Amino acid sequence: MAPKLAVSWAQLPPSFLLPDTLLPLVARRGVKYGWSTADRRRKPNRFNQVTAGLPQLTQSPAAALERKAKTLPLRTGALAIKKGMTAIYDPETGIRTPATVVQMDRVQVVSHKTREKNGYFAVQMGAGWKHFDNVPRPLLGHFTGNGVSPKRHVVEFRVKDESGLLKIGQAVGPEWFLEGQFVDTRSNCRGMGFEGGMKRHGFKGQPASHGNSLAHRLMGSSGPSQGGGSRVHPGKKMPGNMGGQQVTVQAVKVLKVDAEKGILVLNGCIAGPKGCVVKIQDSLKKPWPVVLEGQLEEVKEAVQATA
Amino acid sequence: MTPTTPSLRPLSCCKALLRQTGLQKPAARSMTTYFNKPQAAFHKKLMRQEEPRKVIKVIAPPPSTRKVYKEPLKDVTEAQLAILDPTGSRTNLFSKTNTDAAKVGDILLVRLKNGDPFAGVCINIRRRGIDTGILLRNELTRVGVEMWFKIYSPNVEGVEVVQRKEKRARRARLTYMRKPKHDIGSVQNIVLAYQKSRGAIRGRADDGPVGHENKGGKRKVKGKK
Repeated sequence: MAPKLAVSWAQLPPSFLLPDTLLPLVARRGVKYGWSTADRRRKPNRFNQVTAGLPQLTQSPAAALERKAKTLPLRTGALAIKKGMTAIYDPETGIRTPATVVQMDRVQVVSHKTREKNGYFAVQMGAGWKHFDNVPRPLLGHFTGNGVSPKRHVVEFRVKDESGLLKIGQAVGPEWFLEGQFVDTRSNCRGMGFEGGMKRHGFKGQPASHGNSLAHRLMGSSGPSQGGGSRVHPGKKMPGNMGGQQVTVQAVKVLKVDAEKGILVLNGCIAGPKGCVVKIQDSLKKPWPVVLEGQLEEVKEAVQATA
Repeated sequence: MTPTTPSLRPLSCCKALLRQTGLQKPAARSMTTYFNKPQAAFHKKLMRQEEPRKVIKVIAPPPSTRKVYKEPLKDVTEAQLAILDPTGSRTNLFSKTNTDAAKVGDILLVRLKNGDPFAGVCINIRRRGIDTGILLRNELTRVGVEMWFKIYSPNVEGVEVVQRKEKRARRARLTYMRKPKHDIGSVQNIVLAYQKSRGAIRGRADDGPVGHENKGGKRKVKGKK
């Protein structure tokens, strides 16, 4: 137990007015041993290291962020629901393009993740609507605190810097993406359940005859025995749960944008069954789209005029 | 331990006294019961349970596009059809509600924008919105040939019914017509006769024959417009 002072605490002036020697002894992190450039009384900030003119570390959160910045989009993405596939014909050339239709519904910016607070920049987007009875109270408070209605789907989209942080509460429609631009889509693919090696990894199976019995679809040997280690190597492909994991399809062209109906038509196929949630963001492997100032507002006004 | 002399340390006598009082304490406690006032923190906790929960204000959702436009796939298809089939003739020719529509078993002639026209018995109609297609079967150079055509493709200029089946087919897909027993072979003569009669009506016969038996399938026909 810490030794108590003879005088009652109530009679003393507040702690911040007292000299350090009178304050109770509390261990401070990293001050006793070694040295630190950080202010002694300040709370250490793990994301913004001040290095006092020393060369920047190559293995630190700050350095990791700098490396990552090259492969982070400038703008936030959006959430959509996959509705199914169809085709688009070019009336002039007669070329048929298979297409996926996705719909965006009440997509809004819910909150931000910032470098100071969280160590990276990201925009938290919400889509759809959920009855408040089914939303846990902490989450409901999060939505209300940010002035947004409860959302069914909430997802983070990382952005490069604070210029990519959209205003909280701003609605994002399909007009956020431009016709002809390229996007990356992320969605959970169809789950297959527990599958054998033939379906899951494309193993060849075993012959139908030549004395084979009840082993036509087995994976066969799982590796050499003694001398080869007499063990199964880590990562050996085996039967197991297949599908249901996130699949990214890169550089998908946006064929059509219908802001009024919330429809986005994408080229080709994307992962997942109908009704799955699709995360759409500007493509990493194509030049960033050039959005002119006020372009989004114009589209929104046009939509409001027609509605 | 050496005994302390009281002359040197006068307060050491207190030590023994204090020790005694310390020993007496548990005995005294066991004999009596204390009534403590309910502690402030505990009392507060109890009171808090009785208080009603703070109601979190819920913000109303913005208007939903999903509720208004429930079938976006249909909307996209219809927008496409308005461009590809403005008169609705293509839809009508293969619609299920139209009694005069082309059905499986009919002999159809498909005219293409880039390539020779193709005629054959329709053995399958695959209705898939914008991807609706028909499967035609004919015999070219004594070889059975089947071709799929997307009816809304801009490359398909037109589809004509050459001859209807006398009796309605009782199957949706006439795959049995691939068997030698049921294969009707080349429909070229029927198509030629049809084109002649059409030409007589129109006063010209420039439509050109379709699928010459002794010519290759993809060869250009002389006299084609």
